[in-house]
Amino acid sequence: MIAKRKTKSRPRIGSGTAPILSFEGVVKRYGPLEALAGVSFQVHRGEVVCLIGPSGSGKSTLLRCANALETIDGGRVVLEGVEVHDRRTDARKLRRRMGMVFQNFELFPHLTVLRNVAVGPTTVLGMPQRQAAERATELLRKVGLADKAAHYPASLSGGQQQRVAIARALAMQPDVMLFDEPTSALDPETIGEVLSVMKRLADEGMTMVVVTHEMDFAKRVGNWIVVFDHGKVVEQGPPQQVFDEPTVQRTRDFLSHLGWHGESLAAADLLVQPSSTDP
Amino acid sequence: MTLDWSVVWDNRWRLIAGAEMTVILTATTMALALPGGLLLALLRLSHVHLVRSSTTGFVEFFRATPLILQIYWIFYVLPAAFDIRLSEFVTALLGLSLNVSSFNSETFRAGILSIRPGQWNAALALGMTKPQVLRKIILPQATLRVLPALASTWVSLFKDTSLVSIIAVADLSYVSLKIRSETYRVLEVLTAMGALYCLMGYPQAKLVDWMHRRFKVVE
Ligand SMILES: Nc1ncnc2c1ncn2[C@@H]1O[C@H](COP(=O)(O)OP(=O)(O)O)[C@@H](O)[C@H]1O
Ligand SMILES: [Mg+2]
Repeated sequence: MIAKRKTKSRPRIGSGTAPILSFEGVVKRYGPLEALAGVSFQVHRGEVVCLIGPSGSGKSTLLRCANALETIDGGRVVLEGVEVHDRRTDARKLRRRMGMVFQNFELFPHLTVLRNVAVGPTTVLGMPQRQAAERATELLRKVGLADKAAHYPASLSGGQQQRVAIARALAMQPDVMLFDEPTSALDPETIGEVLSVMKRLADEGMTMVVVTHEMDFAKRVGNWIVVFDHGKVVEQGPPQQVFDEPTVQRTRDFLSHLGWHGESLAAADLLVQPSSTDP
Repeated sequence: MTLDWSVVWDNRWRLIAGAEMTVILTATTMALALPGGLLLALLRLSHVHLVRSSTTGFVEFFRATPLILQIYWIFYVLPAAFDIRLSEFVTALLGLSLNVSSFNSETFRAGILSIRPGQWNAALALGMTKPQVLRKIILPQATLRVLPALASTWVSLFKDTSLVSIIAVADLSYVSLKIRSETYRVLEVLTAMGALYCLMGYPQAKLVDWMHRRFKVVE
């Protein structure tokens, strides 16, 4: 029972081929503060890249820069050959290809769960209401919330709201999903249901960039770990390396600050416990 | 002192016509001042500095000066200075609409700014244009939040329409005061006038109270 579980991380997917998303020396300043001080890493198709690091180190800023919700002050972000911040680039076309999930869900409180998921396709893609509703229903089934379609977000638990938010992002059929601490605002008992939806998504081959403090998720599901500190990438590599043999003192400090001493079984169980999302 | 209520009964149709005019003025003004207020609010949130500052100046002028001055100004100065002649009714409507639009614009602006930025980000991240975000996501929430404030403005407006009697628009105040000066039955006429305002105003005030309870924002 206590036997050490061997987590076999997948090899880095698609290395050798061109990355789907790459950050090249990205700089972002807020006044005198350099929130991103030249950040570089790559995301390949089908990969789960986890961004970890202390609060205030620039992880959320990086995600907002990825889909041009923020301008940048240097470097480039490239999505399959298209420079995101180029003036000639239509930022809205790129955003459709990147789904985003926020720490505070940010569901639209005046719309039902179904309309929350359907509003992207109808508004942005001009999809007919009925077709969008069908797509939304299917996605809600996928995240285990088909029975909540007619409810308003306020009547849902945090975990349920976040699963709706994932369905809403998926409704645009994005190539990449960006998650910004998707479980940080959740009660402990609903974290597992969100992580297992995310794990399933990863298993289906979705390309994901996940900012998280869930080290077990990062280690078990992530293919590549990027460690942030003070707006810089201090270390990156496959999970075994970053978690088990971190080469940088900063990474060791951060991990021990989180109480990470190798594998923590308790939290890992969140991922395998039976969840209400299973049909 | 003997009271003679027959003066009220004899003039009932004039009083009712005056009450009708009050309602028409209130409803028409609000019908203009809701889109007007929204437009001013959006202009005040513009990224163009000149648009923002000139709209602010306009709104602040109408909020800072008395309505009675604004109505007189439109009534006397527009014809004299610009040779623009408007009927008493249109003058009243214009003065009231500009005034209430300015107040509504502040209400709408506060409502729009009260929606947290994350809602903008979530909608933009789906690929919506800014106008789409405003129309589908921000304004529906903002309007619901400011509904009680708009309703309060409506009730104030209902009472403030009495000011247009100064330029001889035949609203309930004007008609009542005219009957009084014709008959010298001050107490009876003013009592009837008060009763009619109250009869119409009370349900509106109650409706506002209900809206304050019903649409109170809980976050
Ligand atoms: N809109 C903003 N204006 C000013 N400073 C900001 C803004 N957003 C983030 N910052 C600052 O940038 C730094 C990085 O923030 P953030 O990306 O949110 O970090 P993380 O997500 O890693 O906790 C912090 O110091 C934060 O205060
Ligand atoms: Mg953050």
